[in-house]
Amino acid sequence: MEMFFDFILKGLEMSSPIAFAAIGAVFSERSGVVNIALEGIMIITCFFIVWGAIVFQSIMMGLLVAVLAGMLIALIHAVVSVTFRVDQIVSGVGLNILAFGIARFLSQKIFAQEAQSEINAFLFPQVMGISVFVFALIPITAIAWFVLYKTVFGMRLRSVGENPDAADTLGVNVFWMRYAGVLISGGMCGLAAATLYPSQWVSGMTSGRGYIALAAMIFGRWHPVGAVLAALLFGYADTFRIMFETRIPIPGQFVQMLPYILAVVVLAGMVGRSRAPAADGLPYGKGEE
Amino acid sequence: MKGLKLNKYKLLELFAPVFGFIVSLLILLLVVMLVGERPGKVFAAIYKFTFSTTSRLATVFSIAIPLFLAGLAVAFAFRAGVFNIGVEGQYFIGGMVGAMAGIYLKMPSFLHIPMVVLASMAGGALWAAVPAILKIRKGVHEVITTIMFNSIALALVNYLVNGPLSGVEPGTNLEAQTRHIRDTAMFGTLNHVFRALGLNIPDHVYLDYSLIVAIIMGFCVWFLLFRLRYGFEVRAVGTSTDVAKYAGVRIGRVQIGAFLFSGALAGLVGLQEIFAIRGFYTFEIASGIGFDGIAIALIGRNSPIGVVFSSIMFAFLKQAGYGLQLYTSVPNSVIYVITGLMILIIVVSNEVVMRYIRSLRKKEAV
Repeated sequence: MEMFFDFILKGLEMSSPIAFAAIGAVFSERSGVVNIALEGIMIITCFFIVWGAIVFQSIMMGLLVAVLAGMLIALIHAVVSVTFRVDQIVSGVGLNILAFGIARFLSQKIFAQEAQSEINAFLFPQVMGISVFVFALIPITAIAWFVLYKTVFGMRLRSVGENPDAADTLGVNVFWMRYAGVLISGGMCGLAAATLYPSQWVSGMTSGRGYIALAAMIFGRWHPVGAVLAALLFGYADTFRIMFETRIPIPGQFVQMLPYILAVVVLAGMVGRSRAPAADGLPYGKGEE
Repeated sequence: MKGLKLNKYKLLELFAPVFGFIVSLLILLLVVMLVGERPGKVFAAIYKFTFSTTSRLATVFSIAIPLFLAGLAVAFAFRAGVFNIGVEGQYFIGGMVGAMAGIYLKMPSFLHIPMVVLASMAGGALWAAVPAILKIRKGVHEVITTIMFNSIALALVNYLVNGPLSGVEPGTNLEAQTRHIRDTAMFGTLNHVFRALGLNIPDHVYLDYSLIVAIIMGFCVWFLLFRLRYGFEVRAVGTSTDVAKYAGVRIGRVQIGAFLFSGALAGLVGLQEIFAIRGFYTFEIASGIGFDGIAIALIGRNSPIGVVFSSIMFAFLKQAGYGLQLYTSVPNSVIYVITGLMILIIVVSNEVVMRYIRSLRKKEAV
């Protein structure tokens, strides 16, 4: 029984970085920008939450620094893919390489080690064995839903992702809406970092969670609540792997594949039953056919 | 007159990669000064590791071989509008299948070497097959599936090398690896050829048969893309799926073919390390080359000839990174920063140039 509760709580903690990033991805894609740079942004936010917490001796400051850093990297994605209308995937791939390099470079210069930071002792308090920040996921999911579906801003954001021409004609600024969507996704990666082992930055610690978050967003049908539920699926699969790896009679490497295979299976089963925003991934230029 | 104008556009198109390279180098210089190193010392370190001796220079070309194959794989898929981020996983699997052919098959050398090359290609294509089919049949975006398949491939070869294919004697304390590859499948080096040409390349620099494979593949891709009907279809699909569809091109078939061939090319990336340098397979073969391939393809503008230059430039950057690591306080990771920046700068300036060209053409049309 105790193990069951442990599994439930740990699973929630493992799911929340994916969930936060997936909510961010919903905002970005709903505005019409595919953000494959989530992985790289998370590498950066994971680094800066640790750095910020150590320097300002406060995890809240660390979180603030991480959110700002996430938005800054996201801003590059917005400039390149919205203003200059470069292929969004190419921009994302370039940013992921850049982010990987920046984090390692800064780690070497600040912590004198290329692949890991110092230990950060300033953490969120624990409730029932997990970080209290995990529970912020619930109100933030609700807020995300409210903003997207019940506010003028949310409606405009979605209209820009569905039909930018029409939105433009009605006086919605397509560029600013898309900037907002991408920047929100960067900021959300900062929240993701708060629940992804903020005690130390280690190179490679995100291990593909940014991409998993994208899969969760698709599986969640571009809806914040759906995305969070899908993130729970991936998070619990990963928790299952970690908690039971040694007890299952199949080789550990096969258990390690689980979340990735799950992502592929889920995506393969999903398509046709969900629809991306109509202008998702398409650059928008005023007055161009 | 018309020919002259075409040349003008061609020159303008070259602007983006050159501009990206120069700006990235300037940023590198800026970073170096921010870190507090003297630029002179940094350039000396870079020079020492890249151009100072024939051996160093040959090393640049040696590490350019797998980079070229990775770039070629990404570029070919790009041409068909397929974004193959799975080169990484495809060469892990391709290399393993090739190594198995080298370990378990018995045949004379002149058959065995082509055999392991083909086996590697088959392995790479096999690993590209599922994302390819999912893309065409189900519309699942290949970027996410290929990334997932990279992780799956790594875990799979990790299992195989530690388990069924392990060639480590019990009790010995070696890293996990397969049995040794038969001598008949091992790649010789071409160093004696270069020596006959007067270039004194020492034996620890590998200019091996994988160089021949790379040249053949580069030629094949060029021929396929620009001399065959299928290549025309590939380029049509890559330029505009709508136009290709109206022209009667079967997009699904073209893209599956390109995806599989890209995977087959990716399968060759590990040849040099497995068959010329190590002589066995381990999951610890160099990683990350698949991602380098994306940068190389973009910088080389997805053309086989462009990829030749960009892979050599990339190899130069990699060696420069080691030089910086060893002789200065600039970390090796600065090379990733530069690579990422270079991609972004090139694609942005390319977009700007293309718009400029379009406006020029419009004016000409009027």
